[in-house]
Amino acid sequence: MPPAPVQTDLVDLKGRKLLLVDDDRLNLRILQGILQNEGYVLADADSAESALVKYDEFHPDLVLFDVVLPGINGFDACRELRKRHGAKAAPVIFITAKQESDAVVEGFSAGGVDYVMKPFRRKEVAARIRTHLQMRLLMDQQHTLVEQLSRANADKNKFLGMAAHDLRNPLASIRGLAEFLNDGTVGALTPDQRELVNLIHQASQSMVTLVNDLLDVATIESGELKLQPAPASLADLIEKSVTLNALESARKHTRIVCTERPAAPPITVDAEKIRQVIDNLLSNAVKYSPPASTIRVSLALKDDGTQVISVRDQGPGIPENERDRLFKDFGRLSAVPTGGEKSTGLGLAICRKIVEAHHGAIVAENHPAGGCEFRVLLTSTPS
Amino acid sequence: MTFTGKALIIDDEPHVRKYIGLVLRAIGATTIIEAPNGAEGFAAYQRERPNLVLLDVNMPVQDGIETLKQILAFDAGASVIMLTSLTTRQTIEEAVKGGALHYIRKDTPREELIVMLKELLAEEPGQTTL
Repeated sequence: MPPAPVQTDLVDLKGRKLLLVDDDRLNLRILQGILQNEGYVLADADSAESALVKYDEFHPDLVLFDVVLPGINGFDACRELRKRHGAKAAPVIFITAKQESDAVVEGFSAGGVDYVMKPFRRKEVAARIRTHLQMRLLMDQQHTLVEQLSRANADKNKFLGMAAHDLRNPLASIRGLAEFLNDGTVGALTPDQRELVNLIHQASQSMVTLVNDLLDVATIESGELKLQPAPASLADLIEKSVTLNALESARKHTRIVCTERPAAPPITVDAEKIRQVIDNLLSNAVKYSPPASTIRVSLALKDDGTQVISVRDQGPGIPENERDRLFKDFGRLSAVPTGGEKSTGLGLAICRKIVEAHHGAIVAENHPAGGCEFRVLLTSTPS
Repeated sequence: MTFTGKALIIDDEPHVRKYIGLVLRAIGATTIIEAPNGAEGFAAYQRERPNLVLLDVNMPVQDGIETLKQILAFDAGASVIMLTSLTTRQTIEEAVKGGALHYIRKDTPREELIVMLKELLAEEPGQTTL
């Protein structure tokens, strides 16, 4: 049995438009003969000048250019096409004679994608043209697809932002009202009632966290993260964050200690956003460390002026094969919170985006002595 | 330092009015008056002459920025704190430039809200009592 013919038609090329440029009528006729059964729409020109005019009327998907032409030669005409149409210009294949093979290099540098040699070999010419038409078609399709996807993603972010925004205030009210119920402001509760109120409070709290994270992601992804840089002391931000997290950590008998805090000069950052990063690192450290751990926070000043915030926990560390997921959206790892806390899997992704918006870096490393150390490297962000 | 006196909350959402009202009671407010929009809020201000106004920005009938102008035109010494859910600083800056004492975000956790309000009111000695 003869071998089955190889499937070369990745995409349907019928109706694709080719412009053939050659001053030799015979060559044009041979090319037309080679291409007539491929289902292309053909046009021809006998000079570069007329080809450039025809290009604008015909909008070809591919151009075959003879190199040696009266007037402007094929290379210059190709350069002109690239100049006029940029990356959208149709791919150009040069027609060269065998003895001009040195010209092949110049053809590529003029922006050509390929060449065919005279005398033509039918199958070779047809195959090369097919290949480049397919490539162009796939590129166009990919371009359209990327555009559609990025539009869809922008719509998703807009929707996410709107939904999160509208959910946030009612949720905050539910949480706050539950707290007032719980502390007896509006009358004493029975133990059963108190249990229900506590559940309402916990549920609304975790929803507030999720909604805030989603809103952050939507804001950042839609490019609406606007930094408000102003001089700030990282040591002060760390201190505020430690105070905020002290309550939650005390619940787990975990201590947060500031090990080093040199007298670092103020640094120009968006204090609120950087505070959010520190809060997140600290709450993660508390979340993933066993109860009664010690979390170490420090600030270091490097010679080049970079300030480094470090948060070291006593958790299980980051498994090597999960490292690449660490800073990604919903990149929850195998580690689980040790006190039944919730995780949205968005916190570190948000941290990374905030730090990168500051042109800083965030890295995580397992510490030789156990646990994991997150470091945030920041220099002043120009406003 | 605690706030004692009459507070007016102007917000179109009943749950916000209730929640902020309880927060204000927690820091010492003795009377809470509520209004669901700017127009009714201004009428209530003229009638009740509260010591403090908590004013939402986005409301039907008449928005917070317009209401702020009205209140301050009526009583230049009014203490108004904007209630906001928006993080757009433009609106907030507009309000503060327009004479609001400050702004608080409605989704602030209760304890933080209490601390913030106490600090804000401590800066306004005319409106607070020891």
